[in-house]
Order: sequence, then structure tokens, then C-alpha cells
Amino acid sequence: MSAMRRIVGRSIAYVVLLLIGLVGIAPFLYLLVLSFKRRIDIISEVPPTLHFDWAAIQANYNEIINYQGILTSLVNSVIVVGISTFLALVIGTPAAYAFSRLQFRGRDTWASTILSFRFMPAVAVAVPIYLLMKAIGLTDTYPGLILPYVAFSIPLVVWILIGFFDEIPTDLDDAARVDGCSRFQVLTRIMLPIMRPGLVVAAMFGAIFIWNEFLVALFVINSPEHSTITLTAATLVSAQRPIDWNIAAATGVVTVIPILLFSFVVQKYIVRGITSGAVR
Amino acid sequence: MNGTLIERGSSRSSWAFGPSGRHRDTLLLLGPCVAYLIVFSVFPLLYSLRLSLTNLTGSSTSGQFVGLENYRDIFTDPHFWGAAGTTALMVGSSVAIALVLGTALALFFGLNLRGSSIVRAVITVPMLITPIVVGVMWRALLNPDWGIVNWAIGRVGLPAINWLGSTDTALKTLVMVDVWQWTPFVFVIVFARLQSLPVEIFEAAQVDGAHRLAQLRWITLPLLAPAIALAAIIRGIDAFRSFDLVYGLSYGGPARVTTTLSFLDYQSGFDFQRYGFAAAMAYVMVVILVIATTVLLRLVQVRREDAVQ
Repeated sequence: MSAMRRIVGRSIAYVVLLLIGLVGIAPFLYLLVLSFKRRIDIISEVPPTLHFDWAAIQANYNEIINYQGILTSLVNSVIVVGISTFLALVIGTPAAYAFSRLQFRGRDTWASTILSFRFMPAVAVAVPIYLLMKAIGLTDTYPGLILPYVAFSIPLVVWILIGFFDEIPTDLDDAARVDGCSRFQVLTRIMLPIMRPGLVVAAMFGAIFIWNEFLVALFVINSPEHSTITLTAATLVSAQRPIDWNIAAATGVVTVIPILLFSFVVQKYIVRGITSGAVR
Repeated sequence: MNGTLIERGSSRSSWAFGPSGRHRDTLLLLGPCVAYLIVFSVFPLLYSLRLSLTNLTGSSTSGQFVGLENYRDIFTDPHFWGAAGTTALMVGSSVAIALVLGTALALFFGLNLRGSSIVRAVITVPMLITPIVVGVMWRALLNPDWGIVNWAIGRVGLPAINWLGSTDTALKTLVMVDVWQWTPFVFVIVFARLQSLPVEIFEAAQVDGAHRLAQLRWITLPLLAPAIALAAIIRGIDAFRSFDLVYGLSYGGPARVTTTLSFLDYQSGFDFQRYGFAAAMAYVMVVILVIATTVLLRLVQVRREDAVQ
């Protein structure tokens, strides 16, 4: 009898597990299916069938590539995200190392002040940043986005990296110091190679954050040629009345696919990044 | 000399150089970061404070100093109070629901069913996805004419819901989508804590014959409390400042019922280009944020060693 109960219990648990997974992933699959359909089919086929017409798929994705300039936006996003993340790491890594290793007055205050910038509402800085960029003539340029994005991702990067530095035994530093390395040399020659996982996690979270950002881009960028992918997706949807859902869905798919790929590749680090970035 | 000796005795590290070398190291390592944040985060904030005391708009070239006029306008603006109420409702219910669901998920995944790691990976994805796209995606799912959600609830015999089109349901829908996207965040933090708890505690409880529910109530949940509290604070701040989801999902409507403070501030700045007014409202938001965070941290007393597993 008790064996019976166990089997029933297990089965229920697996049904629940399946449902949880479904709630997580079904919305994306629905978006993907819509992006494969004709405008008319979205309205007439409820629910959408899994019968796909290659011509319709081509037409949708051709339209966003040829008329909505999605490729340009993708390239813009890759450039902006790449440079911003790289700079945030270059500036943030030494800072995280200092917080983990050096003793100086007000260290904890400095550290939590830097963290607190992670919680700043984007709307609070979007207008001043826009006016600043306008004043120095950087509106509608890559640097106009990169400069503020680096500032946005530094707190995230620093806080993730402090956690990783804290895990490396200080004996390593001491040994290298005895061998005559300067602090900076310890960082670049000893720490960076060991820190590779930490750098990957920090870069990943910084990159996703910048990829998703769109309020500052909305203010700073005003031409399709410099628009990031998220901004393009946002303006495409908000400008249309009524929305062409096949096009909106295809744009959504193209916007999130890089994140999906990225997050599956570095899956084992995701939890680590969230807990070390948040739980500190 | 003295300083060097004391430092050498300290636990974290030893110093080959005297204090002056140490200062130079600190400056070299930390300086660029601090300088960068001063220029691109602190300065805009201060500039915004000045801006909030002017009547600068998108069409004027230079704003005039108007003192606290913007702040007075904000506090006498019914839209502001409406948005403040909406924000409180949205943040409160969204965080509360995400905490309950996230903790429940953590306990469920604590069973360590075979294959559950794949599902765990799948459900971390929503929080990484562009909020704008999440909004648009749910607008499709919840479309009253052809969306699959209304089709599904029609199949089980329930009446169709006008999710985003009705003033009764739009805010609830916003909360629902926010919960969908952010419950995984609570889950990840609480689950990490759960996994770090020593097994012996649970074994001891079992030996003592503690019932499953009693064990949950008196042992597991109290031990998870610091992680839950921390998730609550971070989630609360993020929900308060979030704006993209509203933009993608409902654009503040219908009839302003989903207009949160963030969204109202965005509209003042972008749609109406009232820069001075928008800056003042942003400052009101920052002040609310700082006060709320300070009070919350006092209340829950998250100790660092508790939080970091």
C-alpha cells in the first residue's frame, strides 16, 4: 500500500515538475510559432497549428532584415555591448581586487556605495545623461551609449568579482609578493588566469544587462542606423497601431535568441552570478 | 614602522611595502572605478538635482530657476498620487506573490527529482530576457481575440478575460507577468540557501520524529528566512524602479491604471519633455527608495554572514 502511495506521490511530483517547466518555456515557444505565421493566420488559426509554411517564415524574417534594419541593430548592439562590457571589466576588476584584498579606511562604506548604484532607477539618470551627451555632442553615437552603460554595469561587475576574489586564498598573493611582484602584477599575472570563471560570470551579467537596456538608448539614440536591437524592438512595437504580430514576434525572437544561446552555454554559472551579485 | 608591523599581523594579507605603498596600491586599483562612477553616475545625479529646480523643457534652450515649484507641482498632481498608489499596489503584491511561489519552488526542487536540473535551468531564463520582449510576448499570449491563454481557459469552460483591456484587470495582469518573470530570481536565491543548509539538521529532526509540516514550519522556513528577506528587498527595489515591462505590456493604460511612478516619470521626461519636472519626480523616487531600503534593512536585520550562505 505504501509503495502504491509512493508511486502516486512521485507521479504527481513529476507532473508538477513538467508544468513548471512548461510555464517557463511555453511563452517563448508561442512567440516562436507566431513568428513563423502569416499575419492573417495568427488571427484565424486559434490556437496556431504546428503546420509551417516556409514561404511565410522567409517573408517575416526577410521583412525585419530588409525593412526594419534588424541586422544593423544587431551589429550595433554587439558593438555597444562588447565594448561596454570590456571596459566595465577593465575598470571593475582592479576595484574588486582592492575590495577583496586591501585594508583601507572606509572600505565597506565605499563598497556598499558602489553597490547602491545598482539600485538606481534608470529614469532618474536618463534625462541628465541625455542632456550631458547632448552638451558634449555624443547623442546618436556609440560612445553616447557606451559611456553610461559602462557606469551602469560597473557595480554589477565589482560585486560579482569580489565574491570570486574572496574565494582565492591570500597565500597566493603573499607568495607572489615575496617573489617581488607588485600588487598590480599579482592581479594581472596571478589572479586573472585563475579568475577566468569569475570574469565570465561578471561579463555575462554585464552584457545581458546592457543588451536589455533601452530607456537610455531611447533618449540618446534617434536614428535607426545607431539603434540597438532592444530599442528597435521597442519602437517597432510601440509605433505600430495595430501591431503586425508576425513581425513583432520575429523581432522578439531575434532579440532574445542571443540571450538564450548565451545563457545555455554558460548555464552552470548563472546561479552563481545571481547569488553572488545579489546576495551580498 | 609601527603601522607596518600591525598590518603584517592582520589576517587578510601581508604587506611588503609600508603604508605609503599601500595607499598607492589602493589609489591605483580603485581610483579609475571611483573616478568613472563620479563622472557618469554621481555627476548626472547631482546635475539632475539642479535640473529639478528649473523649468527646462525640450523646447526651451535654457531653463529658469524656479525653486521648489516642480516639487510643489508633483505633490499637488493627482496623477502623481495615482501612480504612487499603483506603484505601492504593484510592488507589494508582485513581491509577496513572487516570494511565496519562489520559496515553494525552492522547496519543491529541494526534493531533487531526477531530471529536475533541466527544468531548473529552463526556469532561470525568464529573468534574463529583455523586459520589453517579455511585455510584447505576453501581449500576444493574452490577446483577447486570438491569444492562446483565452483559448485555453475557454476550453476548460471559463469565460474569456480581457486581460489588458479592462481597468479592472490590467494591473493584475501586470503583476502576473512581473511575477512570471521574477519568481525565478527569488527561487534561485532561496534555493541556494536551502542547498547550503547542513543535512544533519534535517536528519536530527527526523530522528526526533518531527512531522514533515512541523519540520517545514519550525526548522526549514526559519533557516531560509534571511535569504527570503534579502530576495524581498532586492525584488522590491527592482519592481519599484522597473519601467520597461510596463512600456512593453500596457504603456501605462488603459486609463492610467498601470501607470507606475517610473512610467509616469518616463512620460514626463520623454513624451512631454518636461525635463525639470521629470528630474524632480526622479528625485522623489530616489528619496522614497532610500528611505524604504533603510527602513526595510533595519526591520529585517539581514546579517551579511547569514545572507552569504
